[in-house]
Amino acid sequence: MVSRAKIKELMNESACSHNKDKKKGEGCDMPKPGMAAGGCAFDGAQISLFPYADAVHLVHGPQTCLGASWETRETLSSYAGRNHTVMGFTTGITTNDVIFGGDKRLDASLAYIVEHYAPEAIFVYSTCVTAMVGDDIDMTCKLAQKAHNIPIVPVHAPGFVGGKNLGSRLAGEAVLEHLIGTKEPEFTTPYDINLIGDYNVTGDMWQYLPLFEKIGIRVLSSMSGDGRVGDIRTAHRAKLNVIVCAKSLVTLCRKMQERYDIPWISVSFYGKRDTTFAIMEIVNALGDATLIAKAKEILAEEESFLEEKLLPYKEMFAGKKAVLNTGGNKAWSIASGLQDLGIEVVATSIRKSTEDDIQKAREYLGENGILMRAPASEQAKVIDEKGAHILLAGGRSLYTAIKKKISFIDVNQEKKVSYGGYNGLLNLAEDLKYAFNNPVFANVCAPAPWEV
Amino acid sequence: MEAKKIKLSSQEHKPLQINPIKHSQPMGAALAFMGIKNCLPLMHGSQGCASYTKVLYTRHYNEPIPLYNTSVSDITAVFDGGDFSILMAIENITKKNTTLKPELIGLHTTGLTETKGDDVRSVGIHVEIPYCYVNTPDFEGGMESGWALTCKALILQHTFTCKDIKPKKLVLLPNVNIQPIEIEKLKECCTNLGFETFALPDLSTSLDGYLSEGQGKLATGGIAIEEIANLGDAQIVVSIGRSMKSAAEALLQKNEAIEHLHFNHLMGLEANDNFVASLMKMAQVTPYPLLKRWRGRLQDAMLDAHFLIGSSSFVVTGEPDMCVGICELLQSVGGTVYAVIATVYSPVLEEIKAENIFVGDLEDAKSYFQNADLVISNFHAERILHMQEKHTALVLRGFPNYEELGNQLKNDQLYEGSTYFLFEVANKLRELKYHG
Ligand code: SF4
Repeated sequence: MVSRAKIKELMNESACSHNKDKKKGEGCDMPKPGMAAGGCAFDGAQISLFPYADAVHLVHGPQTCLGASWETRETLSSYAGRNHTVMGFTTGITTNDVIFGGDKRLDASLAYIVEHYAPEAIFVYSTCVTAMVGDDIDMTCKLAQKAHNIPIVPVHAPGFVGGKNLGSRLAGEAVLEHLIGTKEPEFTTPYDINLIGDYNVTGDMWQYLPLFEKIGIRVLSSMSGDGRVGDIRTAHRAKLNVIVCAKSLVTLCRKMQERYDIPWISVSFYGKRDTTFAIMEIVNALGDATLIAKAKEILAEEESFLEEKLLPYKEMFAGKKAVLNTGGNKAWSIASGLQDLGIEVVATSIRKSTEDDIQKAREYLGENGILMRAPASEQAKVIDEKGAHILLAGGRSLYTAIKKKISFIDVNQEKKVSYGGYNGLLNLAEDLKYAFNNPVFANVCAPAPWEV
Repeated sequence: MEAKKIKLSSQEHKPLQINPIKHSQPMGAALAFMGIKNCLPLMHGSQGCASYTKVLYTRHYNEPIPLYNTSVSDITAVFDGGDFSILMAIENITKKNTTLKPELIGLHTTGLTETKGDDVRSVGIHVEIPYCYVNTPDFEGGMESGWALTCKALILQHTFTCKDIKPKKLVLLPNVNIQPIEIEKLKECCTNLGFETFALPDLSTSLDGYLSEGQGKLATGGIAIEEIANLGDAQIVVSIGRSMKSAAEALLQKNEAIEHLHFNHLMGLEANDNFVASLMKMAQVTPYPLLKRWRGRLQDAMLDAHFLIGSSSFVVTGEPDMCVGICELLQSVGGTVYAVIATVYSPVLEEIKAENIFVGDLEDAKSYFQNADLVISNFHAERILHMQEKHTALVLRGFPNYEELGNQLKNDQLYEGSTYFLFEVANKLRELKYHG
């Protein structure tokens, strides 16, 4: 079962900037009935662990939890074996299990998976119903681990304990408790890091990993983009933890610092400036003079290479203004990318942003930038006032864009290409080019014959 | 690879599902409520279930989805029997957005709140807006039953009992697989045959891919709650799909004099001939010109497509009510249905004539795919077929289809839709057979 004390501890995580203005002990609020939107804790846990392609992810619950969530994320993997991330596994419990408990079914499912799929490990996710019924998932996993001789990790993040963020933290707990430190790496280098919180969506990581390789930074393990369970077990031997745009995993890093004395830094790989900055932060933290010199040299080279490729786009985008309406770290990370392309970001949304995100947004947009607290009602006015040419927002805002006859990009839609690292900027530039040139936004709202 | 023989049974044949095709009851219920005008669909459970449901339909239909939830947490789960979270949710939602004027609260449960044993019925006494509750645990049934139960609950809880009959008033009860455009076509057909037609649920003006402002707050379905209240004087109720039979029976409880017509599906010549003949007889009318024209087109399409389809074998996966129609249509032009893999058990599956038919998942389906020329399945089959050495064609039907656009306008019903369907299948087979 999930312990209340554990949840409380995670809710009160001191490193979480949601908590800045709150009284001690208050932490993140429990959801108000009717007001909680977005994924549950289980969803968050799954997002954080699912990219381990060599493991099977078994959802112990009824149909809703997995039915709509498998094969929905573009978290790419280079794993040469059978890629389990594009598959869905669920015990799909029935009334019988609710009455008599689902442990037997879970046990039989684990045996089936080991026999037919021979994964490196199995993650078992509890969900609302199996947590409520009181299935002893810990015991079943422990016994099965002994019987099958592979790590079988219970993940206690049933949806009703909270939202995605909390779930992601609980996933971190599970990894810390059951995997990290259970295996020694074959060899180590002074430049070993763990990447935390990049899930390699559309291959984001592959945009910057080649740079790491050129410079000589070694990724010992990843939580969890293109990750392997075998590697995360050795994570305790890394010299540095690097969190990529994922505040929810700060707790994990803080605990690893306490336990294994591994320092951590938080970076982002969106846009040119952020990518350069991120890599310099990493090499500086590793603190090796030759590594730092090498990084500087390579980054300078890569940057000038990129600048050259960006030139035609910059010409094309000169004088263009954008309004950005999206949540969390995207509010500034995409802004940074747009600015790298020479587009002026005149406004961004800070609805539901943390203090850190708001500060960053202010930093990136400058004094004249508008930080919208209620973007849904503000953005139309801002577009008029500032004479913006493009709106980057979620699908619900499309109507605003076509009414204003300006271009639109749905930033929340599942992307197929990555905007990360240096090269991702070129992908973003391409998408922007098509958006600016597409006449559809002006054409679609022509008045109907019966309106003129 | 030899495919494993699995028997048709309501009992599972293995302890887990791998690459599931089954969807949950709450998801079906939520969709049904979206077919009611100004309904506020409210899922009673933790936030995640509603979020997943929203994602599924948003990506399937490319439309904003009006769906709320009661945000049950582990704390409220312990002290609250449902009253608190349901009533607070309604208050919070309507207070936050005062322009929201729901005409119905469509409350449906989830596995969690069923396990807790919440009494969602009695909460209704305290709700001032018309209220409909449905028990839809996701450890029972599936999407098809969730939709059907909701339809039945709407009738049982909201339709007045009645003794009179209004001649030529017709109620259509479509199953969950029938897409928005298909409901529109069905209504249009009945109207053209002289009936005043109502569909319950009616998605024809909801999720139908229509550009307008401020979508996604309340359901924009085509039937209003007062209309549901007054369905009791219909002359005929037409249930389409085995899952909808009990909803039709619920309406008969309201008025014994209503005539019930049942059709397992409306695909292919025979089913539609029966449908049209029954309605013509009831209305004492002759067919309208376009109906005759479409029947002729379907006959022609059957002959055009018979060679390609008649020399091919098929695997169909999905909800039972969808599978039965597709199979009969394919078989009517000589297609060999090699296997049907259904999401859940339904008695209608016993009526399908196929070499293999059982309840399962895509792990089970995989070995059957290898022996088929064409697979009809949801988008999850796409990746599996890509990894397969043998080329097998694919026609996407059923939930979810995250990849293709325009799912709401796919039309497989009546003479007209069946014609399009045959051509789509035959054209896919042509690509496969003549161009590898
Ligand atoms: S809220 Fe609970 S039951 Fe719903 S999807 Fe999340 S874990 Fe599953």
